[in-house]
Amino acid sequence: MRRCNVGPFGLALRLVVLALANAPALLLAANVCEQENQRPRSPTQYYMILAGQTDVFYDRSGPTFVMLQRTAADETDVGAFGIYAGERQQPVFGPVPASVYERFVSESRKPADVLLRLSISKPQYDRALAVLQTWERRVRENALLYPEISMDNILLVKQATEEINRCTQTLVAYDLDWGLQDDISERNDVARIPYEYFRELARRNAARHVPDRSSP
Amino acid sequence: MTTPIKRRELFSSLAGIGASPAAPQVCNGADLIPNVALRTHEGKEVRFYEDLVKGRQVLINMMYAHCEGFCPAITSRLVEIHQALAPRMGRDLFMYSITLKPHEDDPAALKSFARMHGALLPGWTFLTGDAYDIETLRFALFRHNHVKFDLDPDSHTGKLRIINDAINRWTHVAPLASKMTVLQHISWADPPKSFEQQFQDNLKLQAEIDKEHQLYGYRKIV
Repeated sequence: MRRCNVGPFGLALRLVVLALANAPALLLAANVCEQENQRPRSPTQYYMILAGQTDVFYDRSGPTFVMLQRTAADETDVGAFGIYAGERQQPVFGPVPASVYERFVSESRKPADVLLRLSISKPQYDRALAVLQTWERRVRENALLYPEISMDNILLVKQATEEINRCTQTLVAYDLDWGLQDDISERNDVARIPYEYFRELARRNAARHVPDRSSP
Repeated sequence: MTTPIKRRELFSSLAGIGASPAAPQVCNGADLIPNVALRTHEGKEVRFYEDLVKGRQVLINMMYAHCEGFCPAITSRLVEIHQALAPRMGRDLFMYSITLKPHEDDPAALKSFARMHGALLPGWTFLTGDAYDIETLRFALFRHNHVKFDLDPDSHTGKLRIINDAINRWTHVAPLASKMTVLQHISWADPPKSFEQQFQDNLKLQAEIDKEHQLYGYRKIV
């Protein structure tokens, strides 16, 4: 095998060239993640809420949606996106009406219901919001990625939750990838996967859950 | 006295309006193929369905200019396919190669890739566009209905989508299959022949079979 001896100077030069070649990507990655490590300057709080129910629709699946909340001293931004029960109790994929998510978050829940409320940083909130906004655009433009809304909802919940962990390990993750290790996808009907995914995340992240009384 | 909290809805414009499970229906190209805005390797703005696919027989694959895996081999195979079908290319058969990395591949990069692989040929267009639109197109034409594969753009380079929009016929083939296999798959989406044409083709085929039987006593080529 041929070996190439570049010497210490040559090696240093190569490292400099490599660093320069990758500079834009490194800067971009650093900017995205650096913001996340900065201390918040305002008392604004950011939350991601994963909510799921079962046995609501004809196939025993239920509403499953991702909710984002930004709370400042005198104002709050809130919105939820995913599958919810429409007027005829049919599954609907899109922005969840306020009356639906408020009822779910505030009222007493059934034991089988899942609710995981995570306190997140502003960059995490912004990234998750970008995911939800892209899906909102897809609904608005009738450009969903799958013909089956349950599959779209799986992508939505996967993308939104994985954005939380892009820079720092905030969430104890579950790899929802339909691979050999992914029991949830293996053992459940497609429509039920987001609920089971949220349930598993809630189990793994019970210590990180912000209970009702602690949230505004 | 406490000040009332001002509340804004993040998705107020659409709240309550969403997609429900689709009822079974007959779909044609316009329902299935996104009419997204793209740019060709010549820098021309086009609408994917209206300008490139509507009423045509097309071959579509996905690639990116700096792909060092399958893409160069697939492009070489597509050059061979183009040569085999040269009289039809740009007339009733068209080839489209869409980048999976639109943020890297502008029209100039695609043109350079095409030139490097000898793919600047009649009827063959390389396309780029907005990342959102490319993703819409990728899922519409190449999705596996498998979350892991579908989220990995690289998993979509190994497929050649064949569509004849005029007769609403779709099929696909692995472009690295043998040249004969790829050509056979493309022929499955060819426009239907008239009875007279089929009759003439059968006469020719029968003549070949008879000749082989005379020479060898059996059919040599199947």
